[in-house]
Amino acid sequence: MGHECEKNMTKILIIEDEATLRKTMADYLAAEKFEVFEAADGETGLALAKKEIPDLILLDIILPKKNGYEVLEELKIGEKTRKIPVILLTNLESPEDIEKAFEKGAVTYLIKSDYRLEDIVKKIKETLKM
Amino acid sequence: MIKFINDLNLKKQADELGVKIWFAPSFLFLMMGIITMIAMTATYYISKNYDSPEVLAIAECVVTAVIFIIGNSIIHEVEQIARLNKMKSEFVSIASHQLRTPLSAIRWETEILLSKFAVGLNEKQRETIESISQTGQQMARLVNDLLDVARIDQGRFVLKKEKVNLTDITWEVIKNVLPLAQAGKVRIIFEEKNPAWVIGDDDKLKLAIENLLSNAIKYTLGKGIAEVSFSKKDGFYIFSVKDDGAGIPESQQKKIFEKFFRSDNALKNNTAGTGLGLYITKNIVEQSGGKVWFQSEENKGSVFNFSIPVYSQNT
Repeated sequence: MGHECEKNMTKILIIEDEATLRKTMADYLAAEKFEVFEAADGETGLALAKKEIPDLILLDIILPKKNGYEVLEELKIGEKTRKIPVILLTNLESPEDIEKAFEKGAVTYLIKSDYRLEDIVKKIKETLKM
Repeated sequence: MIKFINDLNLKKQADELGVKIWFAPSFLFLMMGIITMIAMTATYYISKNYDSPEVLAIAECVVTAVIFIIGNSIIHEVEQIARLNKMKSEFVSIASHQLRTPLSAIRWETEILLSKFAVGLNEKQRETIESISQTGQQMARLVNDLLDVARIDQGRFVLKKEKVNLTDITWEVIKNVLPLAQAGKVRIIFEEKNPAWVIGDDDKLKLAIENLLSNAIKYTLGKGIAEVSFSKKDGFYIFSVKDDGAGIPESQQKKIFEKFFRSDNALKNNTAGTGLGLYITKNIVEQSGGKVWFQSEENKGSVFNFSIPVYSQNT
């Protein structure tokens, strides 16, 4: 699933099982001129990542079929996917979750309910040095 | 007298653990001790009056059985308490996670409605959506506060110990609360420009400062000033925020750091608040190695202070 395609648009993959949140994020990012791909579970997300090699992945932790940590682990093993920066976007939060995220290679960890979409886009641009 | 003191401690533990007094581990240990002493004494008299080793052996078995049964009850109770505690912390985590999902949706959808991508809203519609957004943010803050309180209560509130610039984080907090201050017609005064290096957790210190500063703003009815300043004493930086707001009645000052406590004048004036901010702030400061204290007079204002260890190369 991708939004309108233009050459040289930055590709973002959103892996999030809550449909409302995923759609809202996708619409906003598309309006900000990103090329957006969506997945509602860990396995589909992983497959899309390997196929499209996005520039950045927004990853939830609680996901069906494969949870965020497992997806992160596999992304970091794959030759083509290991360099993709991953921002963990979740509502789970404890010092243990956060430490685990960084240990597994996430670039940063954001709690969805604390961040506006505008701030998430800022973080994406910061990470990609845009 | 001794019995009275013992009773008090047992009752306190029972209340804290949420069990009946005869299920409190301390009480059960006490019982085990008393029964062991009685059993030993009984064994002594039995052995004195009965020569046969069989009687002695039976007596010993009975004593051992009794100790075993009571020991088992104690372990069972402690297991129950531990299991309930784990369930409580899991409940809080799951509930917070589940609450945060719709709160994120509200936040983002109202953001889209108010953003440059939405057109055609009149002023009244904008205001209404803005109000929904603010309410959503208030709820999100409450969920965060509840999570923090749950972690504090379980001893899982973990603070980093890093080099932090108190000046920088104060400026960041002031930037965040500026809309609240402007809405409440409160002028924030802070003139510190030099770095103030302390040892602490930057995120948690920001939370502590935000609690104190937003209190100063919230409890000023009408125009006012919130003045923030630093001083240094005995290896600590002291952060102070002074307001000329409603103040805290003297009769209620002792309870101000308690969980869910809201003073009468705060409730009377309908000031929004959860009663958790100061409880969390106190825990953050104390776990960072500092202290929090205040002076206040009703209708005159308050000064809230906390101390935090200075960062030095040797630490």
